[in-house]
Amino acid sequence: MVVDIIFYAFAAVTALSAVGVVSSRNQVHSVLFLILTFFSTAALFVLLEAEFLAALLVMVYMGAVAVLFLFVVMMLDMDATDLRQQAMNHLPTGILVGVVILVELVVVLSHAHSHGEHGAVATVSNTRAIGQTLYTQYLYPFELASLVLLVALVGAVVLTLRSRSKGAKRQNIGQQVARVSAETVQLVQRKSGEGA
Amino acid sequence: MNELHQFIQSHGLALLGPQWWPMAWTLLWTLIKIILLITPVMICVSYYTLAERKIIGAMQVRIGPNRAGFFGVLQPFADAIKLFCKETIIPQGSKKAVFFLAPSLTLVPALLMWAVVPFSPELILADVNVGILYVLSISSLGVYGVLMSGWSSNSRYAFLGSMRSAGQMISYEVAMGFTIIPVVMLSGSLSLKDIVASQQGVWNVIPLLPMFVIYFISVVAETNRSPFDLPEAEAELVAGYFTDYSAMSFGLFFLGEYANMILVSFLGSLMFLGGWLPPLGFLGFIPGIIWLSLKAGFLMFVFLWIRATFPRYRYDQLMRLGWKVFLPISLSWIFLTGLGLHLFGKV
Amino acid sequence: MSRRKRCNLFNGNQAKGRNKTMTLHHYLILSAILFTTGVFGIFLNRRNVIIILMSIELILLSVNINFVAFSHYNNDINGQIFTFFVLAVAAAEAAIGLAILVAFFRNRATIDVEQIDSLKG
Repeated sequence: MVVDIIFYAFAAVTALSAVGVVSSRNQVHSVLFLILTFFSTAALFVLLEAEFLAALLVMVYMGAVAVLFLFVVMMLDMDATDLRQQAMNHLPTGILVGVVILVELVVVLSHAHSHGEHGAVATVSNTRAIGQTLYTQYLYPFELASLVLLVALVGAVVLTLRSRSKGAKRQNIGQQVARVSAETVQLVQRKSGEGA
Repeated sequence: MNELHQFIQSHGLALLGPQWWPMAWTLLWTLIKIILLITPVMICVSYYTLAERKIIGAMQVRIGPNRAGFFGVLQPFADAIKLFCKETIIPQGSKKAVFFLAPSLTLVPALLMWAVVPFSPELILADVNVGILYVLSISSLGVYGVLMSGWSSNSRYAFLGSMRSAGQMISYEVAMGFTIIPVVMLSGSLSLKDIVASQQGVWNVIPLLPMFVIYFISVVAETNRSPFDLPEAEAELVAGYFTDYSAMSFGLFFLGEYANMILVSFLGSLMFLGGWLPPLGFLGFIPGIIWLSLKAGFLMFVFLWIRATFPRYRYDQLMRLGWKVFLPISLSWIFLTGLGLHLFGKV
Repeated sequence: MSRRKRCNLFNGNQAKGRNKTMTLHHYLILSAILFTTGVFGIFLNRRNVIIILMSIELILLSVNINFVAFSHYNNDINGQIFTFFVLAVAAAEAAIGLAILVAFFRNRATIDVEQIDSLKG
């Protein structure tokens, strides 16, 4: 009973904040609604006894991807008001398409059935189960996913790096640390009253 | 929907009866436990602010606050009353909803993480088996309070400070996460109680000393403390992302920052310094919670010590340290730990 | 370990048992709603690149819910492994998409997709 209430609460928050993402006037509010969607989905994952994935969702999606969205939206001064005006012209068609897709999906998914329990289930934690399968059965896709992330990392830097061609001063930390006081500081004895 | 309807019809008023009573009792008991956890934490936070001023004063050969009460003991109360009674100024043109939400977004994750901290093998609020994962995920939410406060203040310098601070926090989160992984590898579990129990023979700080050092420096950077506090430096950016906050909103930021500091000191002593285990076996008659408090207190003292001692890092030096120094070292140490575990036959 | 046992790895909470009132269909309908909202968002805001990227994230999130729900109700860990990979690819795609947006915005000072037509023949 309580689990039902929890599910309905988080599902309602997820659906409503998803609608808020696409219909917000302010782009920063859209990103905030997206963050709320991720958070309530993480709560649903915990309900589905996938706590490792819930923590991963919070760490990766909320802690990194949404922060990236927020940085880009905040730092680029985008004027989206005229884009929004034109978007409202498509609203009736959009709602029609959305309703059609939703009805089709619901009709198809109502016929889905689960296999139920197979038999003896091992009582290992979710993290250990994922680890045991990921690094043995899915080792090759795992390495490929890490390659995808590497390409994304290098690509993001390459696309946005603007090196200043001339006049940029750089620091050489090794050179700075290797300074010797004998060649940089000079102690001079002077009588009081005399200048330099 | 039909089942719900039938449920209400068949049970009627008994809905508020016996089957709800045990659940209400569980809820009430959990609430009492939460209050019993948060109240000492809040008192510790307020006296930590006093301790900071006295200790840094002593290091700078001056007396800290000593006017309010004997030895300044009532100073936190004086600060709290002052913050309550001040007027909360809202800047013109700020987005009011987000402006009011932002300090809570800093304080709430700091308090949420206390739920999985074990003070002794029996004293823990939420004994989940993924404690470390929970801590890592909630700590990545701390960035939002900083970003939201800077953006909603509608002020150039606050915004700049919050961008710098957020960039610093997400950079050092990565290094911090990587330093925790060898601890998890050595103990074989994500639960904080198991991590402490696995340090029975030798504390984790001895095989993982570089990881402890990098962890500590990373959490100093995470909590925006000196020498990594350029985003909130008094001389450069007034007060950074909380420039436009006054009175109780500022108080919430302050509480959140200090609660975070105490939390990471406790986590560091649990993961690296052996938690509630005594250093020598025969000292086991002293209760575990005293040992944990002593170790966490030492780490909290080092926070203050560093603040009084070192000059501030410039922002590019800070970022360079996080990405080009800490990340390679912690990554290679994960590899070395795996290699060591394999050679010693434990994996 | 035999293949059958490997597919049956599931986290245990056997004392509690699984709740019988929330069925698979509830999660699937929620994921359908999220998917529809994402498609609706792309349809509506088809000129605003940021909203398009966020709608794509919503679509990927709905797919994740689908996978995890099936993994839970079929007692199969493979659904959660797929979610892992979807998460990694979604993060990579968001990073590259936003990098392209930033690079584009620096040159054109607009996020209107219709303006990206310099190569038209």
